[in-house]
Amino acid sequence: MVEIFDYDLVIVGSGLAGLRAAIEAARVGKDKLRIAIIAKNQLMRPHSISAEGGSAAVLYTDEGDSFDLHAYDTIKGSDYLGDQDIVEFFVRQCPVDILELEHWGVPWARREDGRVAQRPFGGHSFPRATFASDKTGFYEVHALYDTLLKYGNIDKFHEQFVYDVIIENNRFKGVMAFDIPTGQVRIFKARAGIIATGGLGRLYGYTTYSHLVTGDGLAIALRRGIKLKDIEFVQFHPTGLVPSGILITEGVRGDGGILRNAKGERFMERYAPTKKDLAPRDIVSRSMMTEILEGKGFKGPNGLDYLLLDFSPIGTEKIKEKLSQVRDIGNHYVGIDPVDSPLPVRPSAHYTMGGIDVSRTGFTGVTGLWAAGETACYSVHGSNRLGANSTSECVVFGKMAGDDSAKWLLSGSGSIDLSEGERSFAENFVADAYRDKGDNDPYEIKRELWTTMDKDAYVFRNEKDLTEGLSKIRGLIEKSKKISISEKGNVYNQNLITSLEMKNLVELAEVVVYSALQRKESRGSHFRTDFPKRDDDNYLKHTIAQRVDGALQITYRPVTLTKWKPEPRVY
Amino acid sequence: MESIKVSVYRYDPSSEKEGRFVDYEVPKEEGMVVLDAMKYIERHIDPSLSLRWNCMAGKCGSCSAEINHRPSLMCKTRVDSFKDGKIKVSPIAAYPLIKDLVTDVSQNWDLLKKIPKFTPREGLEKPWKISQVDIERSKEFKKCIECFLCQDVCHVIREHNSGYFGPRHVVKAASLDMHPLDALDRSEFMNKDAGLGYCNITKCCTEVCPEEIHITDNAIIPEKERAVNAEYDPIAIFVRSRRKGGGKR
Repeated sequence: MVEIFDYDLVIVGSGLAGLRAAIEAARVGKDKLRIAIIAKNQLMRPHSISAEGGSAAVLYTDEGDSFDLHAYDTIKGSDYLGDQDIVEFFVRQCPVDILELEHWGVPWARREDGRVAQRPFGGHSFPRATFASDKTGFYEVHALYDTLLKYGNIDKFHEQFVYDVIIENNRFKGVMAFDIPTGQVRIFKARAGIIATGGLGRLYGYTTYSHLVTGDGLAIALRRGIKLKDIEFVQFHPTGLVPSGILITEGVRGDGGILRNAKGERFMERYAPTKKDLAPRDIVSRSMMTEILEGKGFKGPNGLDYLLLDFSPIGTEKIKEKLSQVRDIGNHYVGIDPVDSPLPVRPSAHYTMGGIDVSRTGFTGVTGLWAAGETACYSVHGSNRLGANSTSECVVFGKMAGDDSAKWLLSGSGSIDLSEGERSFAENFVADAYRDKGDNDPYEIKRELWTTMDKDAYVFRNEKDLTEGLSKIRGLIEKSKKISISEKGNVYNQNLITSLEMKNLVELAEVVVYSALQRKESRGSHFRTDFPKRDDDNYLKHTIAQRVDGALQITYRPVTLTKWKPEPRVY
Repeated sequence: MESIKVSVYRYDPSSEKEGRFVDYEVPKEEGMVVLDAMKYIERHIDPSLSLRWNCMAGKCGSCSAEINHRPSLMCKTRVDSFKDGKIKVSPIAAYPLIKDLVTDVSQNWDLLKKIPKFTPREGLEKPWKISQVDIERSKEFKKCIECFLCQDVCHVIREHNSGYFGPRHVVKAASLDMHPLDALDRSEFMNKDAGLGYCNITKCCTEVCPEEIHITDNAIIPEKERAVNAEYDPIAIFVRSRRKGGGKR
């Protein structure tokens, strides 16, 4: 039997955006709204905890920072694919929302005089990354989670695997899930929903993403005909630790760290003479891969050739104080203390610039349904996100989605009626997922997907690789329909979860590669060796991908420009 | 290829009467951690093995287990750290078992909810000014990743039904009490409701903390001192006799 819950608002995902949305909805709704927050893992362990370096905000206008400067940096960083009106809105919200986190318990680092300190970050022309050591996202998540606990009208559901949303006549009605510890199928009926399930990073084998980030919300949206925007733009963070891919924060370079090739050269001087190691991530990642392809890297395991991140200019005391987690990671995972020796690094899949096509408040166009955080694409980041802009984005736009959905809920009333068909669909979906449909092994398909994406849709792309990749991925989609899972139990069945996540990933991979193939230019994170120039005449536009009657359709939409004209991107 | 032998506790309470240890042989790789071995077993030998894991970087606190009887994070324990090559993995024992290595730690969510929340003093000038030294003091406790290894090793929790919340929750209270702008006094709560007096400072919790928080010295002992001062301070007793409630000590 399906277990049915009834709420006003259901939030899927408990990262920074989901938590912030829940708090705002509870604040705005007073005690009039019944809210559920549900997540695939335990609520306080989202991937947002892995954010290390900082949250961008203009705090010191008296020292030369300004909203215009933050907006310009973000737009130039986006390679002019960011919508300028939304960027201007975003940068103005950041200071209020970032300082508010301190009132909820985030231990922002301080200056000598006790005011909030900020560190330099890639592509920002002022040191505006507000930080708490190198565990910024972790402290933010915990402060938000603590704040959430103050509200009695938010029910928390840990370890729920959400596999679909219910939409009837373009009206949201709830989500379908099963309880991972028991296997119990559940429907969370709700008048409104917010999808905040993060990006699609586990599309790649070599990545900084936690294993739970499998694009579930994006895949559900795709299947339900909701538009996805700019999905071809995937950020590769320059400094993933070889061989695991674990993130080594940009804060290392912000605090003075330097990238070196096998000859010991500070090669970034050649690629970005002014910003050097603190150029935006797309540029640093490309420069690193150029060095590696020219044979100036070190031979790494499983083809993971690497360069070195040298901590020595930072100084031991500062490393201990501001980069303690990164030091711990070096010690534990590669047996290297960065105080003594440099760490082996290589660009690692890190962030999804694209997402569900939404308005400023995260509204998806489906009545009652919002998206928030990395899952959504507001077009702040365009084709390349600047470091420290994502945690700020999650907080700013999580709040917006919570506020907007709560106000909309308060302005109306009514209840959701489920049809017999919707109930049986929920139950049959899970029963069907257990059923053997062929010999293919979901783990093997996931591994093949990783190999394909790491090779064909990485930092450098071209027609041949993308075409081959697309055909391999389409093959994997077919294979994914004929799988069997060997474990049939209901309790904490990871086989079942892996198989469903794998299906989400292969379907999203098709969109990434297909969109990338259509974009015959190089912009931000998307670099085509066969079209190495930015082409504003033909491609200064957003890619919109949508499944229509089962087929993937690509259309385009113009970028909103306000006061910054596209110009060559030199750092 | 060199291989290692791992003995893993297997038990599905929903369908089995009792648990047992099962031995597996896993190929050894350079830099391998115990979690890699568990994933190998799930992927290649027995897909029914259940475990909770996520970030593989020691940040999320999901993969707690007892490795050779010591509470540890599976992702942070290298297989080559055991010289005799013997590795035995079992679930943390302080909590009800869901399946294999997965336990139900949800009672901690309820305890966490009970601890009086961060309450900044009223009328503070914004933006706040705080010295870095003060930030560091409470930040040590905010580092806690809630892996609950300290709870698992705590003999008060394991052996006595005392109502003691456990080290994780004292660390939580300390993170709030030691915030320079917090206005609440949690000492009575910690003493009466959280059972802080039951801790007899054996320091086992500090030893297993993967975040290297000095749980006993920096959190538990100062929290005990606060509670004792509030309880036995003659001036405080006199003030309490005059009025109910009271401010920070």
